[in-house]
Amino acid sequence: MIISEVEAKRITDKVLALSKADSCTVTLGGHARTHLRFALNGVTTDGEQDDLTLSVTSSFGTRTGSARTNEFSDAALAKVVRKAEEIARLARPDPEFVPPYGPQQYLPGQSWFDATAKSTPASMATATRPVLDLATQKEVTAAGFFNVGQSCSAMATSKGLFAFDRSTGALFTVSARTSDGTGAGWAGVNHHDIGRLAPATLGRRAIEKTVDSRGPIPLEPGKYLVLLEPSAVCDLLSSFVGRAEARSADEGRSFFSKKGGGNKLEEKLFPDSVNVYSDPHDSIAPGSIYSSHGLPARRRNWIENGTLKDLMYSPYWAKKSNREAVPAPTNIVMQGGSATQDELIASVKRGILVTRFWYIREVDPRTLLLTGLTRDGTFLIENGKIVRPVKNFRFNESPVAMLNNIEAMGQSVRALGGEGAGMPVSVPPLLVRDFTFSSLSDAV
Amino acid sequence: MNRRTFVRTVAGSAVAISVPNVFATSPLPGPVEGLDRASFQKLADVALSAAKRLGASYADLRVCRYQNQSVHTREERVEGIDESTDFGFGVRALVDGTWGFSSSNDLSEKRVGEVTQAAVGIAKANRVLQKQPIELEKLPGYQDEWIMPMKINPFSVSIENKVSLLLAVNEAARKAGANFCNSGMNFVWEEKHFASSYGSLLYQSRVRSFPRFNVTVVDKSTGRFTTRRSLAAPRGSGYEYVRDYELVREAEEAAHQAQEKLKARTVEPGKRDLVIHPTNLWLTIHESIGHPCELDRALGYEANFAGTSFVTTNRLGKLRYGSEFITIEGDRTQKGGLATVGYDDDGVRTKGAEFNIITKGLFTNYEMAVGQAKMIDRKKSNGCSFADSWDTFPIQRMPNISLKPGREKISIDQLISDVKDGIYIIGDGSWSIDQQRYNFQFGGQVFYEIKNGKIGQMLRDVAYQGNTVDFWNSCDGICGQDEYHLGGAFNCGKGQPQQIAPVSHGAVPARFRKVNVLNTDRKDI
Repeated sequence: MIISEVEAKRITDKVLALSKADSCTVTLGGHARTHLRFALNGVTTDGEQDDLTLSVTSSFGTRTGSARTNEFSDAALAKVVRKAEEIARLARPDPEFVPPYGPQQYLPGQSWFDATAKSTPASMATATRPVLDLATQKEVTAAGFFNVGQSCSAMATSKGLFAFDRSTGALFTVSARTSDGTGAGWAGVNHHDIGRLAPATLGRRAIEKTVDSRGPIPLEPGKYLVLLEPSAVCDLLSSFVGRAEARSADEGRSFFSKKGGGNKLEEKLFPDSVNVYSDPHDSIAPGSIYSSHGLPARRRNWIENGTLKDLMYSPYWAKKSNREAVPAPTNIVMQGGSATQDELIASVKRGILVTRFWYIREVDPRTLLLTGLTRDGTFLIENGKIVRPVKNFRFNESPVAMLNNIEAMGQSVRALGGEGAGMPVSVPPLLVRDFTFSSLSDAV
Repeated sequence: MNRRTFVRTVAGSAVAISVPNVFATSPLPGPVEGLDRASFQKLADVALSAAKRLGASYADLRVCRYQNQSVHTREERVEGIDESTDFGFGVRALVDGTWGFSSSNDLSEKRVGEVTQAAVGIAKANRVLQKQPIELEKLPGYQDEWIMPMKINPFSVSIENKVSLLLAVNEAARKAGANFCNSGMNFVWEEKHFASSYGSLLYQSRVRSFPRFNVTVVDKSTGRFTTRRSLAAPRGSGYEYVRDYELVREAEEAAHQAQEKLKARTVEPGKRDLVIHPTNLWLTIHESIGHPCELDRALGYEANFAGTSFVTTNRLGKLRYGSEFITIEGDRTQKGGLATVGYDDDGVRTKGAEFNIITKGLFTNYEMAVGQAKMIDRKKSNGCSFADSWDTFPIQRMPNISLKPGREKISIDQLISDVKDGIYIIGDGSWSIDQQRYNFQFGGQVFYEIKNGKIGQMLRDVAYQGNTVDFWNSCDGICGQDEYHLGGAFNCGKGQPQQIAPVSHGAVPARFRKVNVLNTDRKDI
């Protein structure tokens, strides 16, 4: 359920008025989404989801409890407040308790597009049809997912903080397979503005890749120069940023820990060309205007000219470390170059093009070593041209090595990782040397 | 290493931890608050009659209520206590062979009518994209109630009691040398009312419990650190499972093992024989047998996300999936199983629907939801439909999938005694497998060298990587029933929008020959 800022304020005021705790934080999260799945060139399942959730965190002194509900009758509101308070009374004093924040200043949101909000099941079916028709025409089998929706969120505290944000989102992913089962391709992206989604273009790209990837040859596993398309970069970079947290680093149990104690802040980790930041007003991948604890999202450089400039600091750890609290990012942007992907390909004497990765898991948190596989379009590049499809590889590699071994980068574009949509991300395709493929996979 | 202690810990014990008699009052879950059978029948009439009137050939209504509780601690501190309820309904309608689905958290008769209309509307909007109309097999209608048997409803146990146990776990770990210990418990109480146009009217209630911890040992001088996670599995059980599991003792053992692991010798990569404990093997079964034998994947319905399968339908009854020691059963009736339930989310009765996926190494059946059986010339599906929420569409999900114990009473020591150069692996670690389920790589929690039939020193940086069929065919020995352990996951992901499913996997220790072992230490970072 999508509610307005006025309605959100009315509900949070009402809940705060019911609170008898010393301090209270109220959050609301709502969504309304419509989706369409297809496979074997036809529709399979579809549906509408519509919900609104209320969460109450109450504290007596430093004793805290939380309760959630998705019912909004007066009785249900009173019940969830009492439940949070009941838990808080049973809880133990928390030596790390930090009171809720007071009023904050937020940037205006830039993630809402009326055109997306007006989408209907019929318009989604119409936009999908050309993809299925092209798949049939090219004698490949397409499968995909189209998800369009709206979301809203609000946070209010007994100290006077009130934040509200809303966004729209449209996601279209399509993969296809050849009838002989030897070729597969994929394309996909998400945007706040459905007008930028272009399902037909994505479908054409996926189907072209599918046809071109038929009959892959095996190459020996080893270290390769790789051209990682934005989806692949998105997955590895998101893993890196997601672990950039100060406390675990200071405690000595993270890649970001410094040998001998402390963390790697201000260390030069990567070449000058590496710049990674968050900015809720980024034009390609705008993020939410507020983050954890109701703290405002603002431009924040994580990596600046290769140096680690920031880590996430929880309110408690910030206080203990005598620093400002740094909330989790609400988007990730990696600055790119000016080259097109074709220009990057043209610069490669011998290398592997990776469309996307799959089933990425952490192997060693100390080195951020990850494992996973290439999928849906892996090609050999020779003398500046894509020459043939190759079998998929399993990689064992760290995003730290990826960022250290960049040979060239293309333009930063909106990207969607292989394992689903997280926060909005804009990354360039990267040309990376010495990327470790450890074994071959027969999977197509 | 104290393997015997470990095995006893995993298996649980009749010796309870210190627990007060708060358990004396433990009411079993009852029907959804404010929704008795008659009220649900009335709502079902609204949905099913509207769906029929609007042109649906089949429809069902699911009303679900979930109560979740989580308690998390680290060291001497309670990090968070959270309780939530989630309530709503979904209507599924089949119109001209095309599905439509809609949902809402407003359970009024008016809204049920509107949502039914929306479900039919979506089906009608999308039928222009239909290539192969969906045909459902006729199912019997059931009027029944199924309530998971348990001794202690976790929601009747005081929070103080849970906090005390978790802080005792952290204290035990730290006293035993751990620098950090995070621990937690999650409980879910799931209730579902289901009515279908086939005449079913069902109420089901079940509970899931998941206690766990993770200890960390740090050597700041070298910059190295290591962890050892609890081997406790989530279960479809009441609080008696948490009470009887020796979490405090395991935490102490884990702290010792983590310290040993920090100083352990790094593994020499290469082909090695492996003896794999069920606390690790359950996940290998899940990924390399559970998923590839899902019929919707094999047919291509999940191609865009979860992937397809190397187990194509022409291999049914022909594929030599594993050695003769490998018989894998699918069920939704096993005691303590996370997938255990009376009826699946298509309304198929699970009792009597148990089936062998692999029989003495031969691939013999797929997991199926309603409407899929005829695609492999079978007469009926086998109870594998599940939706993780009232607002998600039921899709084919795993039942409990388990390796059947060997008939002979073989112990772990006997398995190990026939290994000259190998590794004994305990607990699940990092896991990854390709989208057709050929190439996998799995880590673990604790690794021991095996030399000349005996367990030797601890190893670190171990992962095993292989090809599914080669791996299962390399099995040449499994233990008997005495070593059976039920592992599992709270959160198996599949589908778009992604749904999570709880599922259990039973196994006994098993021996595999010449498996590729990797060294995961990356020295250049």
